Amino acid sequence: MASVSEMYDVGWEEMRDKLRKWREDNCRNSEQIVDVGEELISEHASKLGDDIWIIYEQVMIAALDCSRDDLALTCLQELRKQFPDSHRVKRLSGMRLEALERKRKISILKAQGKSAEAIRELNEYLEQFVGDQEAWHELSELYINEHDYGKAAFCLEELMMTNPHNHLYCEQYAEVKYTQGGLENLELSRKYFAQALRLNNRNMRALFGLYMSASHIAASPKVSAKVKKDNMKYAAWAATQINKAYKLAGRGNKENKCSMKAVEEMLESMQITMS
Amino acid sequence: MPIQLTSQAYCKMLLHAAKYPHCAVNGLLVAEKTKEKKKDSHSEPVLCVDCVPLFHGTLALAPMLEVALTLIDTWCKENNYVIAGYYQANERTKDSRPNQVAEKVAARICENFSEAAIVMVDNSRLTISCFEPIVVIYHHHENKWKNREVTLESFEDWSEAQKITSALLEGRSYENLIDFDNHLDDLRNDWTNPVINKSVLDLC
Repeated sequence: MASVSEMYDVGWEEMRDKLRKWREDNCRNSEQIVDVGEELISEHASKLGDDIWIIYEQVMIAALDCSRDDLALTCLQELRKQFPDSHRVKRLSGMRLEALERKRKISILKAQGKSAEAIRELNEYLEQFVGDQEAWHELSELYINEHDYGKAAFCLEELMMTNPHNHLYCEQYAEVKYTQGGLENLELSRKYFAQALRLNNRNMRALFGLYMSASHIAASPKVSAKVKKDNMKYAAWAATQINKAYKLAGRGNKENKCSMKAVEEMLESMQITMS
Repeated sequence: MPIQLTSQAYCKMLLHAAKYPHCAVNGLLVAEKTKEKKKDSHSEPVLCVDCVPLFHGTLALAPMLEVALTLIDTWCKENNYVIAGYYQANERTKDSRPNQVAEKVAARICENFSEAAIVMVDNSRLTISCFEPIVVIYHHHENKWKNREVTLESFEDWSEAQKITSALLEGRSYENLIDFDNHLDDLRNDWTNPVINKSVLDLC
């Protein structure tokens, strides 16, 4: 993966200045702080002088926020070595332990089947550690298992906002919308399945999802003739892509042909019910 | 009409649960399509000859489930099978009753096969030796899902099922078990599990 300096064509001084600006403005862009800070620390530590300590603190807090305990611990250890009796460092240590403790508590609640409590604790945790993606994703799964699709969608929206290039979040959001049902949600789901495909054209779930959502919209009595026609086009396109994908997968493998045939027939039979 | 499980069906269900011990898993049970029903065949058990593992993790989302049901239904028609039941192992091991997802899927299956059953796998009792059956079978009766006592009659051949399942668990065959989720991740993964089916046959 490209480094920050490569991607944005910046030198270490600019990275250091950016971190200082974010500190002064009290920004909560933890992911960016982690990306920039981690690179700065690992590659330019010697150039930073005394700035490095405050950068360690800043990056540590951001790392906790993003569930990067490895990085948080590294920063903390450097700070402990340099300031062994510092109250400030002890406070940071406490912060880290608290984050770990809360996450462990949530895991235990989940294992005990206490979903409602796990959800509540996770919500509280996320109020403080807003950038923790793993936690947002866990919360979305808890909501899905409780059939609270609206709240699951909200969690996935947070994830999509901070990770616009992640095709999995797009596709999962689309699945939640589809499950919620209703014409509006189906159209949203189709749009997000399509977006997931744009981000990764080999995502089979997105492809199937596009096919299913477009087919259902086309079959709905509530849509205009134009919408019906458009969706039949989308569905037909998706069906072609699905067949192509199966053909590619089945090449050279006789046993897989049953899958391919079943898919062809399934798509054909659905076409009939649609028209 | 009670159901009966073959060794292949039973062992693949358990392999699926064993592969994902920290997740909920589910799948479909298939039976051979019989021609005409004899007048007094209401007491003859439905033999579930095979199962198709579906998903692991989040089971409560609709689109892929719909795809799987349609696809497997088509496959069944080609092989003279019919979808006759649904199995599920819950994530929280103390929780062994059919939940909303199980009831919804089973209701769909019932549209095509009125005697569909729900088989709940009790994760907490999963051991390598398999010395006792760890399934609870539910039938639809008077608008409710009621569980029936699981006896040796619930299996085509319990001692064979026990022997085969135990051997495959010990040999960690579950690492090669393919469910529909695996298939969606990579289309070359075959959800009919021919490799495991062969292992079962070899052990019979």
